[in-house]
Amino acid sequence: MTDVKTSPDIPPVTTEKSTPERNVTRRLLEFAGQFRGVLAFVVVFVLGIVFAPVSLKTGHSTFLNWATQNDILFEYAEIGILAAGMTLVIISAGIDLSVGSVLGFAATFFSLLLIGFGWSAPAAIAVTLLATAGMGAVSGIIISRFRMQPFVATLGMMLLARGAAKWISGGIKVQPGAKEWYAIQNSSPPIFDWMSSPVGPLGLKPITLAFIFSIIIFWVLIRFTSFGRHLYAIGGNEEAARLSGIRVGLVKTVAYTLCGLAAGVAGISNASRMTLGDPEAGFTYELDAIAAVVIGGTSLMGGRGGMFFTFLGTLIIAYISKILSLRGVEEAPRLMIRGALIVIAVLIQQSKKR
Amino acid sequence: MRLKLAVFVALAVAVLVVAGCGKEKQAAKSGKTYTIGMSQCNLGEPWRVQMNADIKAAAAKHPELKVIFKDAQNKTTVQQDQVKEFVNLGVDLIIISPKEARPLTKPVADAMDAGIPVIVLDRKVEGDKYTCFIGGDNRKIGEEAGKYMVKLLGGKGNVVELKGLMTSTPAVERHEGFMKGIAGSQIKIIFAADCHWLEPDAQKEMASALSRFPNPEDIDAVYAHNDPSAHGAYIAAKNEGKGREKRIKFIGIDALPHEGVRYVKEGLLTATFQYPTGGAEAIETALKILKGEKVQKNIILGTRVFTKENVDKGGEAL
Repeated sequence: MTDVKTSPDIPPVTTEKSTPERNVTRRLLEFAGQFRGVLAFVVVFVLGIVFAPVSLKTGHSTFLNWATQNDILFEYAEIGILAAGMTLVIISAGIDLSVGSVLGFAATFFSLLLIGFGWSAPAAIAVTLLATAGMGAVSGIIISRFRMQPFVATLGMMLLARGAAKWISGGIKVQPGAKEWYAIQNSSPPIFDWMSSPVGPLGLKPITLAFIFSIIIFWVLIRFTSFGRHLYAIGGNEEAARLSGIRVGLVKTVAYTLCGLAAGVAGISNASRMTLGDPEAGFTYELDAIAAVVIGGTSLMGGRGGMFFTFLGTLIIAYISKILSLRGVEEAPRLMIRGALIVIAVLIQQSKKR
Repeated sequence: MRLKLAVFVALAVAVLVVAGCGKEKQAAKSGKTYTIGMSQCNLGEPWRVQMNADIKAAAAKHPELKVIFKDAQNKTTVQQDQVKEFVNLGVDLIIISPKEARPLTKPVADAMDAGIPVIVLDRKVEGDKYTCFIGGDNRKIGEEAGKYMVKLLGGKGNVVELKGLMTSTPAVERHEGFMKGIAGSQIKIIFAADCHWLEPDAQKEMASALSRFPNPEDIDAVYAHNDPSAHGAYIAAKNEGKGREKRIKFIGIDALPHEGVRYVKEGLLTATFQYPTGGAEAIETALKILKGEKVQKNIILGTRVFTKENVDKGGEAL
């Protein structure tokens, strides 16, 4: 089990007595392994520079400019936020299939509070996040208390959240004037526009910032707190963690709660971007989020991985999708390329274990 | 490990090269060429595949036009991104068949602000910040189908209505138009069901209708909101095994070459009413816009009826 803690986020705890030469080779290999994500990212970036078409007007690359980069961060922020939450759960050797549906619920609920009931933005945000964190907590409690497999428990939550989204919205999109009793009939809530308008010198949008802050906050959480260390320990060997006195149930519940919270943030971002609450929003997003985590290098077996890798994984998916989209590649080859990419990424990841 | 990494890199490069090849722009330096970006909301529906085919066919007649097709896979956010990409790429004109009005209003307006004319196909965006809207009129099509039904049944009869997804506007309009078309006649809707545009659902609902009205003369005709539903109804009647499929008249909407028109040719459907894709009209309008001519802000397309008599002549305009 020496490879359990080889993630860059967590320094190796096992101290091996080895000769200096062996140590150097080991270090080198570890170095290459650690920066695998970075390397793949660089490769994809270069591919972007080479293959993205040039602007027909200016002759500059449509990829290598800040506006496009900014767009990419904005467009994949929702997936990135989901992936950040998902990383916590996956490190604990779990999985959360409900995040896409919870995103849809959050988008619908948030829009309903704003447009339907005329709430102020801060109140609507707070209550929406509370609700989705609650959904995550319910999954977490079912998993830890009743020892249910995460796959099954979150599959249930996936259906439940989607059903709840359709129920509260009456099956139609929540937008101004959609129903007669809605508080807002004509205008659009200002928060929607604010969330997707540039702020600050770099022109980053609040949705993009939500993505970046989710990554940073969760990174600090798993890197520098006992919660983070316990999460890795549980993912590595749950029984051992339990025997060493870690409150496994609590830690896992917190992980799922935070994952639900992240899905709530992503849902609010989605509603703002769409300027409405779509009960179908986030359909199959959980798969994109899992793909981002896995491509980054976090192991589905738990105990290994980190937040920075998930950030890279999201960007790798985003870049590949963007390059294909910029070139106008059709859906069929696009799906095959993405499928191949995920499998290859995991193959490389497994090679390290042997 | 390093070998595998190399393999990964090589594969990634190869895949992108393959994906990229054959699509290299041959920027003809001589003569003015135009690039048109076309964002289709999804290619899962045959009607939308036909729309793209119509655009491709119409554009092929004009060598100065190059069309870049993008499929938003039924995701509004993806379609928003695609409009932005076309603006960044600097296309001369954008054609969009939006998934949804409200979220796409701003991207379309932004493209207009960037000086790129936008043709909106089939579904509208909000406000009036677009160059031209081209679309069919479902209410009129429904009404024509209703009038045809009155003529077909001699003003009297029992009809099963197999509706499209009733939370979508086209289904509501096809229903309301039909009711207007049969108003004043003695035609009764004896059974109606929401079939969500889907053939399997239509087949099930029709089977229910048949068992609820088991006598041969109980059902005179079926009005389906799309051709696959009409076809499903035909199959259900055939599966019943009483030969009622020969007596009942089946009427559908959409008239795609490989669907409704073929069914009419084969004698399965009595008639189908075309819901025009507007693809060819979009290219004609685009040429006018690119040459600086003025175009109508809203172009509403008519319909054509296809029956056994006129199907080989390409239907009849209504």
